[in-house]
Amino acid sequence: MEARSSSSAAAAPPPPSIPSSSDQGVWADASPLLAAACRDLQDGELVHGENFSLFAAMSALEIMDPKMDSGIERSRYNSIEEAIEDGVAPIPLSLDRTLDVQRSIDVMDHLFSCEATWHKGHTLAQTVFTCIYLMRMERTSSHAVLNSFCRILRATCNAVISVVSTARTHEEEDLFTMSFGLPLRDEGDEKCLSILNSVEETISRQLRACKAQALSKKKTLEGLESLQDNPDLEEDYCRALLCRLRFRKHFYHVVMCMRKPHGRGLELARKHVASCLTELNLMLKSREFLKSQSSTTLQQGDGNCTTASGCQPVGFDVTLNSRLLSPTPPRAAIRYFERLLHDLDVICASSLDPVLENVLHFIVQFQKTVPDLVPRAFLQTLLVQDGKLYGEHLFSDVISRALSLPDIIGDKEFQMNEFVVQLGQLVVNLIKILCTNTAWQRRKLGKSLQDWSTISIQLELALKREFGETRNVLQNENMCMRVSKQLLIWTQEHAYWVAFRFLTLGFELDLYSPGEYCMVYWYMYVVLTKLIEKMQLRVLASSETSRRKGKKKKDHSKDSARDITFSSSCLLLQCYLLLSEGLSMMLAVLRNESRSFQLPSIFNTEQERFMQHFDLLLKTRVPEHISFYSFEESSSRAGISDLVKYNFFKEIQKIVPSLRGSFASEPEKLAEVRRIEQVAEHNRIALNIINQVGAGEPSLRVSFEFTHHPHFAVAVVKRS
Amino acid sequence: MSSAASSSPAAAAGGSEGSGGAEGGEIAYVSYGGEQHLPLVMSLVDEELSEPYSIFTYRYFVYLWPQLTFLAFDARDGKCVGTVVCKMGEHRGAFRGYIAMLVVLKPYRGRGIATELVTRSIRVMMESGCEEVTLEAEVTNKGALALYGRLGFIRAKRLYRYYLNGVDAFRLKLLFPRPDPGLPPMMIGNDRDDQKMDSPYL
Repeated sequence: MEARSSSSAAAAPPPPSIPSSSDQGVWADASPLLAAACRDLQDGELVHGENFSLFAAMSALEIMDPKMDSGIERSRYNSIEEAIEDGVAPIPLSLDRTLDVQRSIDVMDHLFSCEATWHKGHTLAQTVFTCIYLMRMERTSSHAVLNSFCRILRATCNAVISVVSTARTHEEEDLFTMSFGLPLRDEGDEKCLSILNSVEETISRQLRACKAQALSKKKTLEGLESLQDNPDLEEDYCRALLCRLRFRKHFYHVVMCMRKPHGRGLELARKHVASCLTELNLMLKSREFLKSQSSTTLQQGDGNCTTASGCQPVGFDVTLNSRLLSPTPPRAAIRYFERLLHDLDVICASSLDPVLENVLHFIVQFQKTVPDLVPRAFLQTLLVQDGKLYGEHLFSDVISRALSLPDIIGDKEFQMNEFVVQLGQLVVNLIKILCTNTAWQRRKLGKSLQDWSTISIQLELALKREFGETRNVLQNENMCMRVSKQLLIWTQEHAYWVAFRFLTLGFELDLYSPGEYCMVYWYMYVVLTKLIEKMQLRVLASSETSRRKGKKKKDHSKDSARDITFSSSCLLLQCYLLLSEGLSMMLAVLRNESRSFQLPSIFNTEQERFMQHFDLLLKTRVPEHISFYSFEESSSRAGISDLVKYNFFKEIQKIVPSLRGSFASEPEKLAEVRRIEQVAEHNRIALNIINQVGAGEPSLRVSFEFTHHPHFAVAVVKRS
Repeated sequence: MSSAASSSPAAAAGGSEGSGGAEGGEIAYVSYGGEQHLPLVMSLVDEELSEPYSIFTYRYFVYLWPQLTFLAFDARDGKCVGTVVCKMGEHRGAFRGYIAMLVVLKPYRGRGIATELVTRSIRVMMESGCEEVTLEAEVTNKGALALYGRLGFIRAKRLYRYYLNGVDAFRLKLLFPRPDPGLPPMMIGNDRDDQKMDSPYL
C-alpha cells in the first residue's frame, strides 16, 4: 500500500465526485494512518476485536476488485436525473417521427425481454425497471404510445407480483417480489386500460386508412393522424405497434381474469390467451420489416440483440443491463411467453373439480412439464383462496367427500372436529407444497411426513380411547366410529401418498446413483404396498357404508362408477408396485451374482446411504417396522430363479388391458399406461437375456436408463 | 440467501479420476504448514474459480482448521498443483465437516489428485469426531459428482437455481458409520469462530 505524504496542511482537493465537506462532516485523508497501521502488522496478524473475528472478516470486500466490487463498473451517471439531463431517455425519442416510432418499438421489445428475464429469476430492479421511462413515468405523458405501453406494463407487473406474493412460497427467496424503492404504481394506473384502448383505437383507424389508401393506389398521409412521416412505411409501423400494444392489453386481461375469485374468469382468460398468442405471432412477423428499416451501423451483434430491429434501445441504464447475466434475445422472450401462456391456459381449462384425488392428480400432471414460478403461483392461488378450495369448498367438506361419507358433508360437528381441522390444514399445505418447484417441493414433502404421521398416531389413540380395542368392523358400529375409522385410513393413505411422491421425485431430481436404485425401488415397493392396502380399505369401508344404508339402485350406479375409478387407480398403483419390485429384485440379483451396482465403501457402507436417503421416512415410521436390515435381508436373498418365477413384468402385461379400458377417455392416463407397458416389456426381455446368459457372466453389461418413464428404469443389456 | 458462487468451489477438480496414484510424475501431499502456503492456495483457487474470495476468507479456513487443508505438489518442480480447503464444527446438533474449496490444475486432472486431497481431509474429519461431511456441487459437474459418489457421498438435496447463473446445485452428504457407543469421539478442532451455518458464505 502506497503511503501518501500528506502531512502538509494543504491537502489536494477531493475529486468532484466526492461531496464536499459540510456540517455533517469534514473529509480528511486517512492514507498515512492506514500505511502506519499496515507497517505495524506482521504477515498473518489480524486485528481481532470482540465483534470482529475471522468469520466476520469474510464479509470484507476488496475495493476496486471487479470480482467483488460491483460499483467498479459504475454508471457514468450518479443518478437518474443526471442520466436524463444527459439525454439518455429523450422525450420524444427522436424529433424525426419515423425514428421516434422505431425507437419506441425498440423500447417495447427490450422491455419484453426484461420482463421474461424477470420472470425467469431476477429482480425487477435489474430488469424491467432499468428503463428510465418506467422509473419516471410522468415524463412520458406527452408521448401517448410510450406512456400507454409503460403504464399497462407496470400495472401488469404489479398484478403478477400480487399473485406471487399471495402464493408466498418463498422458494425463489423473494427475488421475484423484491420491489422496494421502485415506483410500482400511481393513481393513473387504474385507467391504464382506457388509455391503452384509445391509443389502440387511433392506430387502428390509421391502419384502416392506410389499407384503404393502398387499395386506391394512393399513398399520402393527407388528412390522417399519421404515426410518422413516411407514407410507404406507415402501414407496417402501424402493424408493428398494434400487435405489441394488443399483446399487452390481452396479457393484462389474462392476469386480471385469472385473479377473479372462485375461478370465475377462467373461460374469458382462455380467450385472451388465444389473442395473446396471435399477437405474439404478429410480433415475430414484424421482425423482418423492423430489421430492414434500421441502419445497419447501429445494430448490435446478433447474440446480444433484444430488439427486433437489432438496434440498442434508448432509455435504459446500460451499465445495469450489462450486469445482467444473460440478455434475452426477442426469440427467447417470445418463447418464454408462449410457454407461459400455454401453462396458464392449462390452468384455465381445469374443470374446478372438487374431488381431492383429482385435484392432486391435476397438480402432479401440471408439474410434469416443469412450469415456472408465475404459472405455478397462479395455480396455487386458484386452488387455495381464503382457506377454501377454489375459494368455495371448505376443506372439511373436501375431506368428508373423500371419505365417501356423503351424510357428513356440511355436518357442523365434523367440521369442528379438531382432527378434521388439522387435516384440513395439512391438505392446504400439501396443495401449496405441490405447487412449488420440485427441488423445494421434495424437501417440504419430506418434512410434512412428520405432521401426517403425528396425526395418524393421534387418531389411532383417540379411536382406541373412544371405542376400545374392538377390531370388528361389521358389528354395532355407530356412525361416529365409522367416520373416525375412515378418517384414520384416509390419513394413513395420504401419508403413504406423500412418501411415494417423495421417493419418485428423487428420480426426477437425479438424486439417486445407479448403486442406490435397488434400495429406492425396494422402498417404493414397501410404500406402495401400504398405499394400496389403505386405498382398498377406504373403498371397502365406503361400499360397506352404502350397502348398510340400503341405497337405491340409481345411487349404486354412481357408487359403482366411483368404485371403478378407485379400482383403476389401485390397478395403476399395482403396476407401479410390480415394476418397483421387479426392478429392485433385478438390481439385487445383478449385485449378488455379478458384483455390479455395488456401492463403494471407503468411508461408509450401504447402510449409511440407506439411512440418509430414507431418514425422514424412517424417523416418521412411514411405514413402520422398516429398517436397513429388512432391506438387506430381502436383497441378499434375491436370486435369478425367483425373479423369473414371479416375473413381475409379465404380471403387468396382464393388468394393462383392463387399465386401457378404464382410461379410454383420458389421454394422459392412457399415455402413462403405455409408458408402463413399454418399461415392463423392455425389462421382461432384458430379464430373459440375463437369465439365459447367466447373471454372473463377466461379459454381461447391464445399465439402467430412464428412456420410457421418468421414475421406472429400463434395463439395457450389452455383451462386451 | 443466494450463493455468490458461479461455479462450485468444491468441485473444480473435475475430469475422470484414475485409480489413485499419479501417472507420469510423483505428487507430494502436504498438510497446510503456515503463511508460506497461503499464497499458493489463493492463487490456485483464484485462477480456477470465478468465486470472489477476499484473503480473509482463506485465512478463516486455514487458521482455524489448518489440519483440514492439504496441498499437492508436483515433485519434479515443486509446483503447487492442487489444494483442498475445509472446515468443521457444530451444525444443528451434529458435528459436521464442510468442504469449501477443491482445485486441481487442469493439466494434472484425471490422475486421482483431487480424490487423494479430499480423502486426506475427510480422514482427519473422521478422526476428529465428525459425524458427517457436506458440500455443494453444480448439478452439471459430472466429475465432482463422480468423485464424491465414489467416496460415499449421496445427493441429499437439490437446490434450485443455487448459483447466480441459474444452475442448480446438489447438497452432497457423507454419513460416517456410527461409532461404537463405548468409545467417546475424539474432538480436535476449534470452533471458536464457527456458528450454526450451512455455508461459510453466509
